[in-house]
Amino acid sequence: MKTEPCCPELSRRTVLGAALTGLAGAALSTRMAFAAEGPAYTGDTLVVISLRGGFDGLSAIAPIGDAAYYQARPAIGVPKNLVIGGDGTFGLHPALAPVLPLWTSGKLAAVHAVGQPNPTRSHFAAMEAMENAAPGTSLRSGWLDRMLGLTGATAPLAGVSLGHAMPARLMLGGADDVAMTGIDDFTLAGDGKRPIAAALRAMYADAPATLSAPARSADRALTATNKIKASGYAAAAEYPGTELGAALRDVARLIKSKAGLVTAAVDCGDWDMHEGLGTAVKGQRMFDNLTDLAQALAAFATDLGDGLATVTVLTISEFGRRVQENASRGADHGHGNAMLLLGGGIRGGKVYANWPGLSPGALVAGDLAATTDYRSVIGEILQKRCGFGALDGVFPGVRPSTFGLAAAR
Amino acid sequence: MTTTRRTLLAGSAAIVAGSIIEAPAVAAAKAVPTTGDPIDPIAHLLRRATFGATPQSLAEARKLGAAKWLDRQLQPATIDDAACDRLLRRLPQAHAAPAAVRAALPKHSYDGFRQLGQAIIARAAWSERQLFETVAGFWANHLHIAAPSSGVWDTRGDFDAQVIRKHTFGRFADMLKDAARHPAMLTYLDQRSSTKAHPNENYARELMELHTVGLVYDESDVQDAARLLTGMTVSKAGNYVYDASKHATGPVDILGFRHANPAADGETAALAFLDHLARHPRTAELLARKLCVRFVADVPPAALVTRLAKIYLDNGTAIVPVLRALFTSPEFAASAGQKVRTPFEDLVAAVRVLGLQPDKDATLGLSALHDILVAAGNAPLRWAPPNGFPDVAAAWASPSAFLMRCNLHLNLAAGWYPKQLTRPADLLTSLVPAMPATYGGLVDALATRLVGTRLPAAHTAAVLSVAGKLPTSAVDKNVAGHAPYLIALVLDSPSFQLR
Repeated sequence: MKTEPCCPELSRRTVLGAALTGLAGAALSTRMAFAAEGPAYTGDTLVVISLRGGFDGLSAIAPIGDAAYYQARPAIGVPKNLVIGGDGTFGLHPALAPVLPLWTSGKLAAVHAVGQPNPTRSHFAAMEAMENAAPGTSLRSGWLDRMLGLTGATAPLAGVSLGHAMPARLMLGGADDVAMTGIDDFTLAGDGKRPIAAALRAMYADAPATLSAPARSADRALTATNKIKASGYAAAAEYPGTELGAALRDVARLIKSKAGLVTAAVDCGDWDMHEGLGTAVKGQRMFDNLTDLAQALAAFATDLGDGLATVTVLTISEFGRRVQENASRGADHGHGNAMLLLGGGIRGGKVYANWPGLSPGALVAGDLAATTDYRSVIGEILQKRCGFGALDGVFPGVRPSTFGLAAAR
Repeated sequence: MTTTRRTLLAGSAAIVAGSIIEAPAVAAAKAVPTTGDPIDPIAHLLRRATFGATPQSLAEARKLGAAKWLDRQLQPATIDDAACDRLLRRLPQAHAAPAAVRAALPKHSYDGFRQLGQAIIARAAWSERQLFETVAGFWANHLHIAAPSSGVWDTRGDFDAQVIRKHTFGRFADMLKDAARHPAMLTYLDQRSSTKAHPNENYARELMELHTVGLVYDESDVQDAARLLTGMTVSKAGNYVYDASKHATGPVDILGFRHANPAADGETAALAFLDHLARHPRTAELLARKLCVRFVADVPPAALVTRLAKIYLDNGTAIVPVLRALFTSPEFAASAGQKVRTPFEDLVAAVRVLGLQPDKDATLGLSALHDILVAAGNAPLRWAPPNGFPDVAAAWASPSAFLMRCNLHLNLAAGWYPKQLTRPADLLTSLVPAMPATYGGLVDALATRLVGTRLPAAHTAAVLSVAGKLPTSAVDKNVAGHAPYLIALVLDSPSFQLR
């Protein structure tokens, strides 16, 4: 599968669409479908961590200055005397201690009272909406796919989702992305002894696009990951032995190997805490999950070192939790959430919010009112850090937030 | 910019030729080199109506002819399946009644889910009632209840047995009504927490959007349907119960279904509504389209969808006449090569065609096959949202999924993993009993046996390159060592990926 450019005006989407009307009916090669190497992408590497299950922003970034918070959460509210950072209105959950130095040095920020338009309390509908991020349009791709496509990046590992063999739905669409459980697991069995990759390349060179596109992406990505593996890698930090730790370690490895990574998607599940969200002490579910998250983020930042200057990490979650705790020391599905932002260009040490308050009159159906569209937060990052002008190609109809939460490159 | 099919084909032909030159479009139109031989209609039927052809199934279908083979498969009770039934006894919780699951397993155990997933793989791989199993899989994906998912640990297997499999070749109206009265469905889509004062709209919405008419309802339809369905719930013991005290009375008007709904016992009205939905023309169209996506093409022929929808309605929602019409249609015959196997189908087809059999007395091999599919994102029932696994090629076109297919083929061919499956004493001899004189002849024989046709000459040469051989090379004493790689490469070919 050589990569000579041909017909650069053809998009892969066009070719795939044509091929799908009859796999055997049209002998389409994807090789022709890839644009010639475009201008290199010069923006930040954007790392998106999806906190699956409904992340409780009201614990992570606790509104300690709001008396209604403690009235609604007598058992699970984070006490003022336990928070480890913040500004008197908001306090960082004590389990975030591993990232406190990043907060203090201004590389980590939070945005609060964030949500989606057309909110739903259904995990699946909310996740679909969050990953599609184009309600009211006919777009069926993921927003990271659209972002990647618009950068014109063509490196074999420009878009990577880590942790699963199937692509993250954030990357669903025509851009050429690669899903892998991990760099070291991305292998072709038996190829060390026999030229299996070459045989596959020959067999798929003339296959219909639907069959040849993944084969070709796999081939390119194998070549690239083999190079990374061969160069050896010792992380400059100790990552926690969790799936997130392993995934972020591989993201750092991709960045440091200069493989052309534009964006990475990582899942971090298990935030659905109807029961046992618990108090802010070790052994309780929220405390332990936040500890894992913070340790992995801290290791990632340490590992990258100066490289963090051109990296932005952000967290998203399909929805938040109800303000009122339930009878099981948990919180049911709700809206109004917090996002975390980490990176060299982030103006950190600060909680950004149009804070609506938690007084009963300010709530929306028992939830924190979402006063900021999560897409506008990401939009500000796309403009300031990723070199985007208009957002319409990624988030149709959305304006970037004006918080000033990142420095322009 | 405009892209014509002609420019695409011309571009492709240039690359096939190995250089960027203008090539005649005519030559390109013939260049569909996924197979080396013309399509065999029996092989095509078996690729779609089974989980993969075996020499035995092909021989039977050739002997009976397509029509009689189809008739036989449409009457599964007449097909002896004792060996598969014996195997399933090793998975006693897979389809057990809820009370039996509760008696056997700790609360919220995942063991029932795991056994059910393994049972589905076992049946796909080794049941003789192959068409029944493919259609049962279709319905399970249509009335999808994710497993594992919270709350259905004790009822999911029973749903598969008493709703899906019971009505697989029956009437959709009956399946839909039994689904609506099953604790697994009522739990998965939150209907059990729906009350008169606070109707939960989740099931009502998915019932219309996913199970029947599609996206043609409005919010008032959802609200009326949610009110009408109140009362259908789950008892404390975990069984279906109609609780009249939870039922919201009052007139409803939903997609042409009008009912005064005056009685506290609204079950009869709710069932009449389900019947109305099952017989709705939009439902007929949705099901006909989905069946065509499953068995014909990702973009199904409109005329066939229309014909099948009419047959469905004319036969009181019976599925068998629809299936018979589908598989005997000219559109089906013309659709060879237009579907791609999912990771599940690729794995099962490889197991079947290599003649791998279950473990002698345990389920460790099955368990390993299940683990492989979990890693591939395609283990039975493990799609999280209620819309079911996608069934179009683009959804599975992932580089990792491609590598996993190739790695699995080599593992199966070499016998490295899963080790517990029972293998032919000599795999190569079982696949090619009479050894050809040349390596080219050997790959032709392997491909004919494994994918049903010879490979194009260029692919045969590619397969042989892993052994450092040419098609004309004489078979030598090293053939046994090369065999796993040659077998795996044939299974890796584009031809084997086609459903």
